[in-house]
Amino acid sequence: MTRKNINTSAFILLGFVAFGLPLVLRSPTYLHIIILLYLYAYLTTSWNLVGGFAGVLPLGHSAFIGIGAYASTILSLQYGISPWIGMIAGGLLAAIAGILIGLPTFKMRGAYFALATIAFGEGIRVMVENIDNLGPLKINGPRGLQIPPTHIGFGNFMFAGKEPYYYIILVMLIGVLAFTYFISRSKLGYYLNAGGEEPEAAMSLGVNVARAKLIAMAMSSFLTALAGTFYAQFTLYIHPKSVMSLDFSFEIAFIALIGGRGSIAGPVLGALLLRPVSDFSRIYFGSTLPGLHLVIFGTVLILVMIFQPRGLQEPLSKFYNTLLDRISGQTRQGEVTHEYS
Amino acid sequence: MQMRASFAKWRSLHLTFNRDADMNFILEGTINGILMGSIYGLTALGLTVIFGVLKVINFAHGSLIMVSMYVAYWAIIFTGVHPYIALIIVVPVMYFFGYYLQDIIIKPIFKAEKDIREPITVIIVTTGVWYILDNLTLLIFGPQYRSIQNNPLRGKMLEFGDMLISVPKLWGFVTAVITAFAIYWFLQKTRTGRAIRATSLDREAASLMGINQFKIYNIAFGIGTAVVGISAVTLVPFYNIFPSVGVLFDIKGFIIVVLGGLGSIGGAILGGIIIGLIESIAPMFMTATWAEAIVYALFLVVLFVKPSGLFGVKYDW
Repeated sequence: MTRKNINTSAFILLGFVAFGLPLVLRSPTYLHIIILLYLYAYLTTSWNLVGGFAGVLPLGHSAFIGIGAYASTILSLQYGISPWIGMIAGGLLAAIAGILIGLPTFKMRGAYFALATIAFGEGIRVMVENIDNLGPLKINGPRGLQIPPTHIGFGNFMFAGKEPYYYIILVMLIGVLAFTYFISRSKLGYYLNAGGEEPEAAMSLGVNVARAKLIAMAMSSFLTALAGTFYAQFTLYIHPKSVMSLDFSFEIAFIALIGGRGSIAGPVLGALLLRPVSDFSRIYFGSTLPGLHLVIFGTVLILVMIFQPRGLQEPLSKFYNTLLDRISGQTRQGEVTHEYS
Repeated sequence: MQMRASFAKWRSLHLTFNRDADMNFILEGTINGILMGSIYGLTALGLTVIFGVLKVINFAHGSLIMVSMYVAYWAIIFTGVHPYIALIIVVPVMYFFGYYLQDIIIKPIFKAEKDIREPITVIIVTTGVWYILDNLTLLIFGPQYRSIQNNPLRGKMLEFGDMLISVPKLWGFVTAVITAFAIYWFLQKTRTGRAIRATSLDREAASLMGINQFKIYNIAFGIGTAVVGISAVTLVPFYNIFPSVGVLFDIKGFIIVVLGGLGSIGGAILGGIIIGLIESIAPMFMTATWAEAIVYALFLVVLFVKPSGLFGVKYDW
């Protein structure tokens, strides 16, 4: 078997497992945990488009989640518009917001950029918390919006069981991973890469780095907002502290950083490793040792940054590649080390 | 507290009729705003020193304030002394805490990213420290709010004609001014201070002159954290102490430091006073949460228009 074949078969196997999981795993609690895991993997992968590919540190991304959630919720509660359409609307709104935020901030150096994104994120949250009604739109400030679970059906993005949500977020996750893969291989991906490492050199070669970063930001905020709609339809209650908080932004960034920003598998890996830690420590230690999972997060973050700044995906992907080499008898470059009969 | 709240309500109801009392009210708010603002400035002073030298924004700043407040709290509870005497314990403890925090956790990153002028990874690592400190404190000491009820400064007000000036904040103002001058004098006149300034201007040239770069970083971080300790002692007489108390000061600290100019001592105090004024005057005309939004808006305006702040050195941003 060639290396490529083994790689492809591994992916197909993974796909079978992912799609077949709800048929085997019946417990709604565990499905809920896995759905959230996929959601975080989705969010971190979308974040990665800016935080990894564009090479900056955006720490206010939860604002886009909030925009998506509020947009689709308001449209469906007040005007009866299907959340699927609201999702796209929220995404477009977030993309515009992302560009507006990116225009002034991309000129700044690393730490200042991080601070500015925090300020934007928190500023938007404070504004939403203070507004009860924006013209005809009911925003409800800190009390948030609740979605009554009445009209069940695909058109309304509302389901009785967890399984449909599972498949939706799984498809979204696969979609965003494929999207990231193609972007990384595209001209835009190379522009971002060059702009992130040596902006002056890239610009001297004619790369419009600023424009590339803005495009990446627009894509990232659009995709992030879609997850906001999913979150709203899944949990049926949104309020500023839940969908636009600083903690949410930081959590996404942390997970992506620990997994390895700039790579495609990194953010997913981070979510895979850290979300169970978070969930289980909350379930088992939530009352006795509150905040334990955050201590673990912080410690893992520091250790990873000191020893593996490119994230945990680096040693893990090296291991995977070595495994592929041994099994297939070929190395990445294609030389055959030994034949299998 | 209750008496003052209804007093303020009475005042706001009679806003159009009683002009003299009005002016007094605004003047009182202004003065208290300046006093509280100077305390904010004091909390940001440590942050600006650390940034000025290490060129990194220490996201664990708020947590250091929180830790200092707990240290001060326990010091005062166990010894029963006047809060400001706790400085004797808090300052050295926090100095070494900061020194070794830099030495053990942050220095390896600096060494790994030697060529990069401002390693972003340090920001990430300090955020990790923030999470660890805040939640470890939550785990060990619990979420309850603590305060020192019987201290000689709590709730004391000074009467200036019709106005009430908060005594602990007055003490804080004096401490802030003294500390600012002390740090300034230290940086200008002592040998170590000059070494710190040299490193902040050009770290390579400084090390060529025989200055041990990393030792200076350790010392600077230690000093910054010691100043944070001083500010915590100022806060403890009237502020509640709980594990996430640092978060408010963290964000405010960044805003103040950017406003005043990263690395500028006078800028930190001035920036703090501006924030303090906004916080005390704005709620007279709008809800307190909109005042918060104003602070963020101001922050963003400064970031875009003059990122080097009021007194900062202009970098090649």
